[in-house]
Amino acid sequence: MLIFRSEDHVDRWLAGRPAGATIPLETLAALATAWWSSRLDPDWRPRSRAENQAILDGLGLTGPFWDLG
Amino acid sequence: MDAADLDLRNATYQLFIELGQAPSPAEVAAALGMDEETVRSGWRRLHDDHALVLDETGQIRMANPFAARPTPFVVDAAGRSWFANCGWDAFGIGAALHVDSTIHTTCADCADDLDIEVRDGRPTASDLVFHVLVPARSWWNDIGFT
Repeated sequence: MLIFRSEDHVDRWLAGRPAGATIPLETLAALATAWWSSRLDPDWRPRSRAENQAILDGLGLTGPFWDLG
Repeated sequence: MDAADLDLRNATYQLFIELGQAPSPAEVAAALGMDEETVRSGWRRLHDDHALVLDETGQIRMANPFAARPTPFVVDAAGRSWFANCGWDAFGIGAALHVDSTIHTTCADCADDLDIEVRDGRPTASDLVFHVLVPARSWWNDIGFT
């Protein structure tokens, strides 16, 4: 889960390995807000897998790669 | 996760924020008025539930999004510098603290410095990208590698 200067840098870093998923920082920031913003709340409760999947789905992070299983 | 473990988890996170670093079992035990072994056994259950990540000695390695050890992701937020476990967690620290932040990292390919301002939850640098190598269903198989 790394940050790169551009998609060209991702390709070079992969060096022929199969790529995972590349997303813009805007999407990552939105994902982080949805995923972590309640982390320090006094009434925090663990989310279910379905709730986590719904966060990914809501940001368009769908398909087999983003399937939490 | 039962109520006692939830209280332990919340107290551990609260101490992490207060101290600016991962608390020890003794520090959490003192804060909660319990013995260290109760903290350690509770942490192991939280580790198994993916609510914390412990190292091989039973100390906190990750209280996601916060990292207990130095990493290539340094986040300035709320008057402190924090370590994040990965790029996702780097954005998560400001989100968890509900403050603006600045992320200092490097391009994983070319090692150029990348300084990313996050204001109102949005990055000011829009040309960078984030890559996830491991499919979601396998993230917890080896969370350190993920």
